[in-house]
Amino acid sequence: MKDDDVIISVKGLETFFYTNNRCNKAVNGVSFDIKKGKTLCVVGESGCGKSVTASSIMQLLPKLSRIENGEITYHSNEGDIRIDQLKKNGPKMRSIRGSDISMIFQDPMTALNPVYTIGFQIGENLQYHTDLNRAERKGQSIKLLKEMGIPLPEQRINEYPHQYSGGMRQRAMIAMAMACNPKVLIADEPTTALDVTIQAQIFELMDKLKEEHDTAIMLITHDMGVVTELADDVVVMYMGNIVENGTVDDVLRKPAHPYTKALLESIPVLGRGKNQVIEPIKGSTPDPYNRPKGCQFAPRCPFADSSCQVMPDESSISDTHSVRCLHPMEAV
Amino acid sequence: MLTYTLRRLLILIPMLLFLSFLIYLGLELTPGDAVSYMISPERYATMDPAELEAVREALGLSDPFLIRYVKWLGGVIKGDFGYSLQSGVPIKDIVFDRLPATLELSAGAILISTIFGIFFGTISALKRGSIGDNALTLAGMLGVSVPRFIFGLLAILLFTFHLKWLPVGGRLRPGYEGFMDRLPHLIMPTLVLSSTLIAGVMRYSRASMLDAMNRDFMKTARSKGLPEWRVNFVHGLRVSLIPVIVLIAFRLPILLGGTVIIEQVFQWPGIGNEFIGAVRSRNYPIVMMIAFFTTFAVLFVSFLIDLFTALLDPRVKLD
Repeated sequence: MKDDDVIISVKGLETFFYTNNRCNKAVNGVSFDIKKGKTLCVVGESGCGKSVTASSIMQLLPKLSRIENGEITYHSNEGDIRIDQLKKNGPKMRSIRGSDISMIFQDPMTALNPVYTIGFQIGENLQYHTDLNRAERKGQSIKLLKEMGIPLPEQRINEYPHQYSGGMRQRAMIAMAMACNPKVLIADEPTTALDVTIQAQIFELMDKLKEEHDTAIMLITHDMGVVTELADDVVVMYMGNIVENGTVDDVLRKPAHPYTKALLESIPVLGRGKNQVIEPIKGSTPDPYNRPKGCQFAPRCPFADSSCQVMPDESSISDTHSVRCLHPMEAV
Repeated sequence: MLTYTLRRLLILIPMLLFLSFLIYLGLELTPGDAVSYMISPERYATMDPAELEAVREALGLSDPFLIRYVKWLGGVIKGDFGYSLQSGVPIKDIVFDRLPATLELSAGAILISTIFGIFFGTISALKRGSIGDNALTLAGMLGVSVPRFIFGLLAILLFTFHLKWLPVGGRLRPGYEGFMDRLPHLIMPTLVLSSTLIAGVMRYSRASMLDAMNRDFMKTARSKGLPEWRVNFVHGLRVSLIPVIVLIAFRLPILLGGTVIIEQVFQWPGIGNEFIGAVRSRNYPIVMMIAFFTTFAVLFVSFLIDLFTALLDPRVKLD
């Protein structure tokens, strides 16, 4: 799989949280690739380790957590960089953050600093990663805001986050993240705090940027509709593991893992009328401190049997499609 | 913005009137008057009531309460602050004579407590859980809870009696004049006065900084590849300062009258000492003027704070 079009490869990543002398294996051996200029969607319910995986790539983990094992390799133009081996806030890691890999967050209201202007906050990024002087940075910031579809950028640049609407704030966030033309944009549920019409606009914008700048996107989301629209590849996570990994066609049309299938069946589909049967997943997510033995989904899985007491290995279904299940579903 | 400023300034007037009336009423309800204090108890008991009445008449104390208040108020509006009942010295002279000493003391204390309070508080937050943080927390608790006069007495015991480094009190010895001569006298009261102030500012800015450090924008700042010092000081500290500055600003009125106890402990010839003397001798024109100034300072500062928060926090609108 180590071909030329992979920009970040994650191998056997384990990120653990330590609280009250207990260890939460938030990410428990995760491997995937982000391909150049492609969109990878990471799907899964709350607490499955999506955001922690993203934070691990940026080395922006909270204090009580750390990367225990695994490799995160960034295939830069100047050769491979092992991100997991860099010092957390060392100069090398900082030069990658915001310049080669950048990130946008869930709620742009809290993710932007309320006391500085949008222009200042975009300019900061340019200041640390480019040689532009103050005036050039301002010009560049205006250009960026314009590109993100913010009207009157010359005035808007001097305004504060609270003077922006929700959607505009996220656009400004994206402008900030795209300031140095990153190779990878990590978006951690970027539209959860926005209403539906604005969500669509933001995704449209991200898709446009991907095409124009050839930026790879790692998009974390709950929204299967978004996955269909934007994803090239999909990773489905459950309790810190990747249960299914493949192209968008593989995963959405031929779901092999019972969890993926259950996830797809639990979503109402537009056009099927109001009487459609929505099948919720039985039970609830296990306590991370008291995990089931073997396959994590087994207690909730209708197909589970005694063999599921052992954690299944990843098995490939095709070149692009792999699943972590002993009883993968037949393609329908 | 301008209309807001004007409106706030105009509101100050009725508030001042109301408060000054309350203070005047309070003094009126206190038993005894200046005359009973000026004349020795033996003579007071044997004096002819008509004679006493004459003294009161001369001092203007025999008018009905409201008339006296209006007279006093009229004087203040015209800039006539009245005279001390005992010495006959114009109150303006007394205040301007005493005020510099108090300002010197309290301005120093506010300056020191602001700088060190914010510094220690921020360091404490950044190094949360370290030995230094715990030590500062303990010191902060002591500083907040132990009354100032105890610090004052301990300081005198240590620096004057045991170490013999600093004078016991007063502002200046006879025959010396310059600031350098005053400095040794100034050190102890200023430090003792700032001790509790530092502790308060420190605890507050630590909490505020910890709060800021947990905010999402800190992660955003890191995700941009900014160095830690910039993340902490440009992003974190700047946001954490807003409530701390408000806290400090609310303490500004002590510049005018909040140093009473320290001035007593160190025999500092400031407004506070004068105030206590005036209350004891029912010298109401002096009490009124000092209370009036302090009230004005408190009201004015709260007005300034509103303007200042609007400057610090772009989310605050003044209209």
